[in-house]
Amino acid sequence: MIDVRHLTKRYGDTLAVDDISFQVGKGEILGFLGPNGAGKTTTMRILTCFMPPTAGAASVAGFDIFRQSLDVRRVIGYLPENVPLYADMRVGEFLEFRAHLKGIPRRRRAGRMREVMEMVGIADVRGRIIGHLSKGYRQRVGIAEALIHDPAVLILDEPTLGLDPNQIRQVRGLIKDLGRNYTILLSTHILPEVEAVCGRVIIIDHGRIVAMDTPAGLSQHLRGEGRLSLEARGPGAEIQAALERMDGVRAVRRRGNGVSTFSVEVEAGRDIREEIFGMMAARGWALREMRTETVSLEDIFVHITTREGETGE
Amino acid sequence: MTKIPPLLAKEIRSYFYSPIAYVVLVAFLLFNGFVFFILMTALNDPRMLREGSAMQFFFGGTIFFYIVLSIVVSVITMRLIAEERKSGTIEVLMTSPITDGDLVVSKFLGALAFYVFLWLPTLAYVALLGRYAEIDLGPVWAGYLGTVLFGAMCIALGLLCSALTRNQIIAAISSFVLITVIWSVGIFRTFVSGPLAQGVFGYVSILDHFYEGFGRGIVDTRPVVYYASATVLFLFLTVKVVESRKWR
Repeated sequence: MIDVRHLTKRYGDTLAVDDISFQVGKGEILGFLGPNGAGKTTTMRILTCFMPPTAGAASVAGFDIFRQSLDVRRVIGYLPENVPLYADMRVGEFLEFRAHLKGIPRRRRAGRMREVMEMVGIADVRGRIIGHLSKGYRQRVGIAEALIHDPAVLILDEPTLGLDPNQIRQVRGLIKDLGRNYTILLSTHILPEVEAVCGRVIIIDHGRIVAMDTPAGLSQHLRGEGRLSLEARGPGAEIQAALERMDGVRAVRRRGNGVSTFSVEVEAGRDIREEIFGMMAARGWALREMRTETVSLEDIFVHITTREGETGE
Repeated sequence: MTKIPPLLAKEIRSYFYSPIAYVVLVAFLLFNGFVFFILMTALNDPRMLREGSAMQFFFGGTIFFYIVLSIVVSVITMRLIAEERKSGTIEVLMTSPITDGDLVVSKFLGALAFYVFLWLPTLAYVALLGRYAEIDLGPVWAGYLGTVLFGAMCIALGLLCSALTRNQIIAAISSFVLITVIWSVGIFRTFVSGPLAQGVFGYVSILDHFYEGFGRGIVDTRPVVYYASATVLFLFLTVKVVESRKWR
């Protein structure tokens, strides 16, 4: 549904998006992940025809963003960052205006508005002034606006920004539900969000794609290196030395003495937990805890983006 | 072009969402009522030597007309695009299936409609005069026509100023200054010599257009062409400014 090829965008001397390519299939929820200023919003603005790229090409639902800009805008529902709305309009009035603008015929407008308001749960605030609504409601009004013309593709820029945890849960649930019927491109810098809703993730940093995979696949990728976390009572330095001498151990880090915690990096594909237990028991050191460290998307993100940052400077 | 009706309807309604519309409307009527009162008093004074009908002075015959017009137009145009840019709603608008031209034309027509709406109550003055005296309606209609055409040009200029900044105050001040320059530039005719300079300043002298033309019931095509072409030019420039986000 979305096809992006070698997209580049410069603002003067600043390279905001640097030669990115990706595809989003029908019915897929793609997470666009990256630190602030990585180029997520710029990419979305290009796809929604708000601004053209400096180089490269993209199409949405088969329409080219240059030559068929109006067609692209007809099939896209877009929720910009911070959800700009007309604060002094009423919810119903605003949706009516947007429905009219997006070409929904008068006789279908009322029905479609009711449907969408039910879907996102704003039917009860229909007559309220948008500026008086809570942030969570405004977010949902924004999503309702994006959905009103039943677009093929939804582009949501940080849809949970500034919401409280309950509202975040609600909006995520909503997006997940929508994912059954719509193709969604979603940007965020909040990691659990991606793990919660997205089928596939693109990590973007300094305008470049640094990783693209399923959330599970990305975790797998790093978990291959394997890491164990131990807590033991005994002479810290000696334990560390003993661990380092073991076969299959690549590095050991230690914190504390007496009762110390160790972070043991193990070679890929090796499981040496029983050997460690045996070794500790033989030396009479008390092993208080041992677990496999699970690599969260957060670790991957920090790992990838900081490494990129270091080489980039 | 099919997108103009919904945009225009929203523009006109949004004037009445904010208190600005009501404040402008009341101030405008109070001030015009005051001007009308002064004109009546002056024209009924036997020591007053100037000849002319009340509506001739009312439309462009006093400095008040130009000052009020400059202020009103600056106030009703200042938020048009500046506010959309500041609040970010321009992004929602321009990612809808509408062209930049649709947006600019709708904003212009909405402001023009509100401007015409502001002048409508002054028809009561005409009715009032008609009760007590025989009035020549030609200069009255010509006065209204000139007021609307000149207003359209000022609105287009105000819209351009609003497109150039996110700050409504800056938009209002810059359009007030530019509109003032436009209506007062004809004054320089007295300071220049030579047929060319005289001709140019004479052609753009709005004060003369009203005093010699519309106010007397003469609709000369030259000022009409001047106002219409300047309106189109300012609207064209506004579209280019709105489009400029694409080349930055």
